Amino acid sequence: MSAAPAAVATHGEAEIKINRLWLFAAGAAVVVNGMFPALWVLLTSLKTEGELTRVPISYLPQDPTFQNYLTAFAAQPLARFFFNSVVVAGLSTVLTLLVSAFAAYAIARLRIRWKNVILSAIVAVSMFPLISLMVPLFQTMRALGLLNTYLALILPYVVLNLPVCILILVSFFSAIPRDLENAAMIDGCTRLGALFRVVLPLTAPGVFTAGIISFVNAWDEFLLALSFTSSMQMRTLPVGITLYQGEFAFPWPIISAALIVAIVPIAVVIVIFQERVVSGLTAGGVKG
Amino acid sequence: MGSVSIRKVVKSYGAVPVIHGVDLEIREGEFVVFVGPSGCGKSTLLRMIAGLETITGGEIAIDGKVVNDLPPRARDIAMVFQDYALYPHLSVRENMGFGLKLRGTPAPEIEARVGDAARILKIDHLLDRKPRQLSGGQRQRVAMGRAIVRKPKVFLFDEPLSNLDALLRSEVRTEIKKLHQHLKSTIIFVTHDQVEAMTLADRIVVLKGGHIDQVGPPDTIYNAPATQFVAGFTGSPPMNFLPAELTDTHIRFENGQSLAIPDQRRPRGLPSGSRVVFGIRPEHVSRADGAAQLDMPVTLLEPLGSDTLAFLSVGEREIVGRFVPELAPRPGETARISIDMRKYHLFDQDHGRAVGSLDG
Repeated sequence: MSAAPAAVATHGEAEIKINRLWLFAAGAAVVVNGMFPALWVLLTSLKTEGELTRVPISYLPQDPTFQNYLTAFAAQPLARFFFNSVVVAGLSTVLTLLVSAFAAYAIARLRIRWKNVILSAIVAVSMFPLISLMVPLFQTMRALGLLNTYLALILPYVVLNLPVCILILVSFFSAIPRDLENAAMIDGCTRLGALFRVVLPLTAPGVFTAGIISFVNAWDEFLLALSFTSSMQMRTLPVGITLYQGEFAFPWPIISAALIVAIVPIAVVIVIFQERVVSGLTAGGVKG
Repeated sequence: MGSVSIRKVVKSYGAVPVIHGVDLEIREGEFVVFVGPSGCGKSTLLRMIAGLETITGGEIAIDGKVVNDLPPRARDIAMVFQDYALYPHLSVRENMGFGLKLRGTPAPEIEARVGDAARILKIDHLLDRKPRQLSGGQRQRVAMGRAIVRKPKVFLFDEPLSNLDALLRSEVRTEIKKLHQHLKSTIIFVTHDQVEAMTLADRIVVLKGGHIDQVGPPDTIYNAPATQFVAGFTGSPPMNFLPAELTDTHIRFENGQSLAIPDQRRPRGLPSGSRVVFGIRPEHVSRADGAAQLDMPVTLLEPLGSDTLAFLSVGEREIVGRFVPELAPRPGETARISIDMRKYHLFDQDHGRAVGSLDG
């Protein structure tokens, strides 16, 4: 009697162990694949050009130097690029969250006809390849006189990030019981007040997730940033970093240093919010 | 405290009408219970008073002021929801003070009023907890506390007891009644449970299919139901019904058995030969001597401890009688059963309206 359940238990435990091994291996593969290039860039940024091209190759910098960072800031207005990126990514994220919160709330809550059609249309719009939007967007921006301004990037970034943010927030808002808002409105809130005082605090993981996605997308965007800004003063980091390469020279260590300057802040932001973002990506669909 | 006037109120969702012209006057300080089966419109009506549903037609006034176009926050009402609707991110104290804070009440006064309400509801030791750390009964008390601190004109309760287990339900029910006696405020309470309606209400409003079937104090609803629906909705087990034909002196059932009608309880305005539904409550089916009697086969007993329910056959139909356990008939036997003909009811077979002017 007692032997059989014990055998089953051992079998089960072994299975769990094997499953965990697989999970660990898969996780390790993902981490190495993602981390190795970043790590290599970091190591490169600490080497001299001479060490980088030396054979045999040295993995760790033999004589670590921060000179590349100083050069990166001196050779190009890297601080300005950084500032521009912060402004463009930051403002577009705030705007995206505001607009997508209203849109998602309307879709999740109001009695609207064709709700699913509207959602599908939003998803469909997000499928257009960016390159196909370039020419019309460029002409629009030129007509509006917005080329070479922050708005030339902020407005398209907001529009591009809206669909995914709306989708995330709709699923979060739908999970909030309506009576919570009803209670808030009886207690003295307007509908907007209920959204800001009750719904948004309760869906914070979703808001953070949407915010991070939209910030990272804007921070990394290259194509529009290259096309819609031509003045040095308006360049963002991804475009600015390409300027280090000369006609015949690729100063890899300096480019690497600039890359690290671009990567670190976003990594820090994600580490700070990672717990909320992880719970945001997994929760929401399920009530909880 | 306030009165509520509901005048010719209609509600439709698109082309589908759900409330068909309801008229009702609720007096200041009155405890009114809306009761009815699901889909009867009781919650919709409550939500229209709250301002959570728009009013398609007619008028709702609170304290004489028409509120049709006022948002919920401007109606000076408080509501307790079925699933509590406590703000999960706020502490009990913040939950209860939320409405006062929004209205700009000074912090010391909020603190005092929250403290008072918490003491009344015996939740003063829970003020710093979050809703998820509370049991169902405690959550419901916090929800009531959130309503009390506002001192609104009208309290609205939307099935507040249905998520509680049976024991807790009767406990909180008693507390709500005590609360009403203490606060003397106007309360509108929605439930599908006739026991809650009977025990709590000053007046019961029985709703069916978006109409009011009857309005009255619990004893009127119980003893003088205006329709077969109301009669069948109240009491546990509910009233027994048997199709019958009226003769000059008797009520004759489908199987040929008949009961003599006492002179003082002769139905008025119904000609001999009228087809009616005969109604009798289980407690008026007994083994007492001297009353009108019928021989009925006993199919089943349900002992409840204090008394025993017996299922009795009348031809193809079945009725339930409530007996003192010692006097209960035995299953399988054909027992001589007394029907208290001072307490019978007659209903129209087509519309279910009480007929024969038997009440009062």
